[in-house]
Amino acid sequence: MVIKRVLIGLAVCMTLALGATTIAQESAPADAEAASREKFRSLDEDVQDLKKEVLDLNRDLFLLEEELLFPANSQVAFFLSMDVGEYFELDSVNLKIDGKEVSNYLYTEREAGALVRGGVHRVHMANLKTGDHELIAVFTGKGPHTREYRRGATITFNKGIGAKYMELEITDRVKKQQPEFVIKEWE
Amino acid sequence: MKMKNILLGLTFSVLAATSLASSGLAGQAAPDFALKSSTGENLRLSEYRGDVVMVNFWATWCGPCRQEMPLLDELYSRYERVGFSLLGVNIDDNSSKAMNMAAELGVSFPVLFDARKEVSKLYEVEAMPVTVLIDREGTIRYVHHGYKPGYEEKYLDQIRSLLRE
Repeated sequence: MVIKRVLIGLAVCMTLALGATTIAQESAPADAEAASREKFRSLDEDVQDLKKEVLDLNRDLFLLEEELLFPANSQVAFFLSMDVGEYFELDSVNLKIDGKEVSNYLYTEREAGALVRGGVHRVHMANLKTGDHELIAVFTGKGPHTREYRRGATITFNKGIGAKYMELEITDRVKKQQPEFVIKEWE
Repeated sequence: MKMKNILLGLTFSVLAATSLASSGLAGQAAPDFALKSSTGENLRLSEYRGDVVMVNFWATWCGPCRQEMPLLDELYSRYERVGFSLLGVNIDDNSSKAMNMAAELGVSFPVLFDARKEVSKLYEVEAMPVTVLIDREGTIRYVHHGYKPGYEEKYLDQIRSLLRE
């Protein structure tokens, strides 16, 4: 009787052991899949992190380059804008800073059209020491009755600490039926 | 000794031919410029992006230019409608001379004036004529220094291949 019980016990143990092996065999691929999924996820995260780092580095480099080339303390930018433009058809703008020619920009029909439609063009960017500087802008084009027109505007401006922005503005003076050329400092 | 001289001569000829056919500019982005044209309009190279552009540097005192220009004009009239532009950049100090010569030769492509020689410097023009071919992306693909009869065949092949891209 005792032997019978022992045999039954052994049989049950073996059955359980076999069952456990089967379960273990079945769960093995599932674990591997989960592990590989995890691995992929971490790889993807690594790629994303790397991408972010590259973007950050790129931004830092860009800012650094800009600071080096045009340090905020010495940076001066000159913009050109047109208001209406009925009495003046822009052809070119020549800029002289302290007697030295720094830009001679020819405007195509398309570019002049963009200005009339409200566009602003950065004609020139420079590095200037702090102190007083003289800007001479010469505008050429066609004036009223499509006559050749050449006008200059001069300003003496003070370059302090920090970037400076100047605007060369061409407007229509309806009363005189003439264009007007003004140089303004942006505050 | 004689053989050595011949070999040396041959080497120099090959070197000269290579330097004429290729240029450091090929493969680089075409430097942008704007110049006044014979019609009074200002023309800017970057506004031709999307077209195959030929920039031909010429002068009134250059004999080969006189030979080449009518042939270039033929190419221009033939391929203009399929996206080919030709800009003739004159480097004379006096633009009226250039206008007279262009009228005499009957060229129909735009003639631009580079009296300040700024654009010629940008394109490293050291011979006359110089013909630069720019693809639709704005990259310089071919640079030809000088002109000899038969060059127009090369231009034709190159324009056609660039237009097909």
